[in-house]
Amino acid sequence: MTEKRLTRIRVGLVAAAVAVCGLMASASAQASEWNKFDYCPSTNPTVFKCMQAVTTGGEIVMGKKTVPIVKPVTLQGGTTEPNEESVSSFVGATNGITLSKTPQAVPGGLLGIVPPESSPPLVKALSKFFFENSLTGVNATLELAKPASEIKVSELNLLFEEGTALTLPVKVHLENPFLGKNCYVGSSSNPLTWKLSTASPGTGGSLEFKEEAQIAQINGAKLVDSTWSAPAASGCGGILSFLVDPIINSQIGLPSAAGKNKSVLNNTITVALAEAVNEH
Amino acid sequence: MRRKASLKVLKGALVAAIVSAVFAGSALAAPAWKLNGTELSGSETVVGAAIASSMTIPGMTTTCNHFLYTLKINNSGGTGKGEVTELPLYECSTNTVCVVSAIKAEKFPWASHLVTVSGKNYIVIENIRVSITYSGKGCAVGGLTVPITGSAGGLIDNTTETATFSPTSFSATGTALKFGSNNVEWKGTFPTEAFEWHREQALTVS
Repeated sequence: MTEKRLTRIRVGLVAAAVAVCGLMASASAQASEWNKFDYCPSTNPTVFKCMQAVTTGGEIVMGKKTVPIVKPVTLQGGTTEPNEESVSSFVGATNGITLSKTPQAVPGGLLGIVPPESSPPLVKALSKFFFENSLTGVNATLELAKPASEIKVSELNLLFEEGTALTLPVKVHLENPFLGKNCYVGSSSNPLTWKLSTASPGTGGSLEFKEEAQIAQINGAKLVDSTWSAPAASGCGGILSFLVDPIINSQIGLPSAAGKNKSVLNNTITVALAEAVNEH
Repeated sequence: MRRKASLKVLKGALVAAIVSAVFAGSALAAPAWKLNGTELSGSETVVGAAIASSMTIPGMTTTCNHFLYTLKINNSGGTGKGEVTELPLYECSTNTVCVVSAIKAEKFPWASHLVTVSGKNYIVIENIRVSITYSGKGCAVGGLTVPITGSAGGLIDNTTETATFSPTSFSATGTALKFGSNNVEWKGTFPTEAFEWHREQALTVS
């Protein structure tokens, strides 16, 4: 009898533990949907919506170089109420990281030696080892070239695959021990202005609502712009930039006229009203 | 020699017969509107209200309590044709925090025609455009007017005199309703009842 009772108590305890774990898991899953807006300036009275756009793939073609986006880049913050043209201005993230600085490896590194696609895996691996290591490897990092308010968003164009959905003024930071700390393509006064669109060859992705439609998430949006121009690189090699800049420009093919460059960003974009974010 | 030639002709005819039979069975053949079993001559107006109707974008379903329609039908060259001229929508709501603050069917008339696919009859409505404006506290698409556009295919049931729109009927007719690049799932059953010259007569498709 006592043994039976003990067994019942044990079963009860296990069931309770399982239930608690289940509740905790569901609560944390729910919290994570709203965590995307942790750095949204939602209490700022000019902020109408909170937005997080995570670029998980795509590529940046600049002159003769193609840099695949393999590490996620996050754009986060708030957006103002849309104007008559349905365009909103961005409001920077509260943690100061409106556009995450995520280095992407430039294939072939400093020497630009890329084995042909048909090369055996061993050749590819050796090439990566020798030309994309910490000395000869080059990282390209996207950085905002203007204040966050210069980023413009049109939710309508994003959803309906028309016009410009996202205007992003950026510069590309080229990083390598030989290039110094100030090797950039584009600057605050002469940025790469990307007018990204989901119109063909882009796509608007698929919309799904979460949290009783308080959160709208666009999965698989492909934003493309192939109209931008890229100025020459500057500040590469520190005091030797007068020597190094021309080498980098020749290697990349800079300056590069409009139509010869392309940015393709594969995104997951999540949006919620600021008032809803404030309540969670 | 002659025998060989006639064999070839026979083979050709057989292949042609098989091909046409296959196409008649699976591809889009053309049925007509019938009233009490007789092919409709002239035109007729069909008026009805949805028995149940909802539109779903993943995560949000919009339902209208009053989903009426007016469809003018005729047979042209042995094929059932028609056009939707009105679609008033009232008392619409969602299963989320979003409220339907405005909904309107636009750009009439919407052309329609009948097709037979794998032995089943369907009505296909084209050039559909319904604009929905959502609002509501916390609604992520609040203030946005969402145009739903495209074409819709509904399965005709002669016994119940209804047309039912479902993912299966959309797939069978190769039709789709879109919101931007998103597919919108429309489910709805509509009675098909003659309202003008042929009231009380059974409206069927064959």
